[in-house]
Amino acid sequence: MAAVAALPDDVARVALELPLRANLSALDNIALIPLYQRHYGAAESALQAQAMLDRLGYADIALLRDPDMTPAQRFVTKLARALILKRPRLVVDRPGAMLYDVPYPSFIRQLAAQADMTGTWEIYDFSWNQVLYNQALNSE
Amino acid sequence: MNFLATSIESLGAKVVGWFGVGYGIFAFLAQAVLLLLDRATWNRATFDVVIKQVYFTAVQILTVFLGYALVISWLIITIILSTARDFGLTEFASEMTIRVLVLELLPFLTALFVALRSGSAINTEVALMQVNNELDALAHCKVPPMQFEFLPRLIGGVVSVITLAGLAGLLALLMAYLTIYGINMAGFEPFTRTIAKVFDFRIVAGLIVKCALFGLAVTLIPVTAGLETPKKLFMVPVSVLRGMMRVFFAIVAIEVVSLALKYI
Repeated sequence: MAAVAALPDDVARVALELPLRANLSALDNIALIPLYQRHYGAAESALQAQAMLDRLGYADIALLRDPDMTPAQRFVTKLARALILKRPRLVVDRPGAMLYDVPYPSFIRQLAAQADMTGTWEIYDFSWNQVLYNQALNSE
Repeated sequence: MNFLATSIESLGAKVVGWFGVGYGIFAFLAQAVLLLLDRATWNRATFDVVIKQVYFTAVQILTVFLGYALVISWLIITIILSTARDFGLTEFASEMTIRVLVLELLPFLTALFVALRSGSAINTEVALMQVNNELDALAHCKVPPMQFEFLPRLIGGVVSVITLAGLAGLLALLMAYLTIYGINMAGFEPFTRTIAKVFDFRIVAGLIVKCALFGLAVTLIPVTAGLETPKKLFMVPVSVLRGMMRVFFAIVAIEVVSLALKYI
């Protein structure tokens, strides 16, 4: 797993070790990226962040802070933050550690379909969880 | 002999540790100053966070703080006035009040107030951010923590301590006038003359610099203490304890140096 942490700068990671800012809402956590990286104004950054949550089907979590979120909502916020980075590769690192309240292979697949983004999504997971992904594929 | 060697080693390790802490604080300050001078830092986002910090540190506590300053000022002025009357030195009461309250006690108490309220909160928050990897997450997203988290807190602390001490000083001057001369204009001329005599350029500049240093101490030291926290949750209270002790010593040191420069 050290290899995941050492991934290059062009990779956006969604990982347990990269938490949200606890005292910011989901919207503010996502809006930080356009605000500080692309120097958009606060209103425009919030609009972009809200659009990202809308696209993932989680518009209603915008005002929640990290401690008030379910694991799935937290994951979606982290994913939205990673997506708004607009990096060519997205790595989801050990999703089972973050998504323990939903059957995560199908959940991630559904989010990927909704996000409709360019670039590649990669999932790094333990080999013994392979069976979960196979089950998700077979059930479709 | 063995005991002596151990004691010297232990003392040496402590001194080296203090130098390490001092170096860390000044290195962080230098980094912050360099960033402050960079034009790219001053975008709308940083400015908004600075405004938010000033609001949390100064505006939110304004009524409580002014009430506290009012009570302290009234008590000290009454003590000074009654003592001055006992010794037949009433004409020096207003100057004494200004020197003791406005120049020394109120800035010192303001710094303590902000340190206990905001300094401890900053120390805890930065320590938790460090332990929870939130700073790593910001770095991964290329959101500069210095610009987003730390610099606004430093500026907010400096601005807040200067303005709160200034407001408390004005309130104390008003209280002093009312207590010494009552509600009339009879004492306005001698009182304003005393103010003009005490507040020469050197004293005003010294007061502003002292308050700015207090503001820096109550924010910079908690931030650096928080950043030193090992990534273990149980170390957060230890970090806050260390940070607040350093803040206390720094505030006392600033006050002592300021007094020495003024009166020795």
